[in-house]
Amino acid sequence: MTDDALKSWICLGCGFSYDEATGLPQHGLPPGTRWRDVPQDWVCPDCGTPKSRFEMVEIPYAEGQPAAPLAA
Amino acid sequence: MSNSFVLRADERGYNKILSTGATASYVGGHPDAFITRFSSFNFGEYQDGRPGFGRIRVFGDEGFHHAGCSYSMHPHHNFIICAFVLEGKLTHINTLGGLEDLGPGDYYAFCAGSGGLHEELNRYAEPMRAVYLWLLPDHLLLPPSYTRGHFDAAAGLNRITTLVGSDAGAVPISQDARVSRLLSDEPGVFRYRPRSTGHGVYAFVIDGTLRCDGTLLKRRDSKGVWGAEEIVCETGRGDTDVLFVETIM
Repeated sequence: MTDDALKSWICLGCGFSYDEATGLPQHGLPPGTRWRDVPQDWVCPDCGTPKSRFEMVEIPYAEGQPAAPLAA
Repeated sequence: MSNSFVLRADERGYNKILSTGATASYVGGHPDAFITRFSSFNFGEYQDGRPGFGRIRVFGDEGFHHAGCSYSMHPHHNFIICAFVLEGKLTHINTLGGLEDLGPGDYYAFCAGSGGLHEELNRYAEPMRAVYLWLLPDHLLLPPSYTRGHFDAAAGLNRITTLVGSDAGAVPISQDARVSRLLSDEPGVFRYRPRSTGHGVYAFVIDGTLRCDGTLLKRRDSKGVWGAEEIVCETGRGDTDVLFVETIM
């Protein structure tokens, strides 16, 4: 992967994964939002772990993932 | 050339988490219950240690005190969460449909994958003690799964038994890692051979004394070794109980 590639970050408190490519639109982070642009006071939506306790991971997705988001 | 680190029992992180006050929604069993957690790696409030080892991110030596003591139902993704019950009875509940009572020797691997919730509960007055191990998976958002196993102490005496991993009879997981246990009641030499020199081994002494790769380890001491073709472990007289976690580095 190049340094410019979009990456995933995993919460070390619960495993929730943030993917720069998909973002978190329901939490105000559009697809493509880089980790560095996620606010510093942002916390894991599932467990409240601070942004500083996420780890960048280069782990491939399971087959069929990421799944297309369900229609609103 | 192999590398290693030693983590003594009292060098681990320690947290006592109450079922009252700020952590009341995290730990159940108000008002008496509390969880004690010795962390080998950074986790939660303990961030002064090593971040992990290979694919290991959590290794917690935990006690659930008083009837009703629990981690309240909470969500996970991705991590492969294993629990090895050492004492007492653990009730494990998960949203994959699992409702299980586990006793000493019982263990499970819960692959959170694309998502699931679980609760860990001690229903009884006697403490429940377990080792909780979290491993990164080799794929993100896998289909969640739950598999339980049992370590037969009699059959496992004076040999290294694989509990989790790709070996026949072990609980399979989606990661290049395995967990084994050694129970010994007599002096012996055990040569642990990692899959490759690219695999490291984290040895944790549950009880007894073990000379591991030249280092004398006592109860709840541990050692991580990597880059070695073989790790020589020696047990003495008396009972020794060791957990080995091997992981790609």
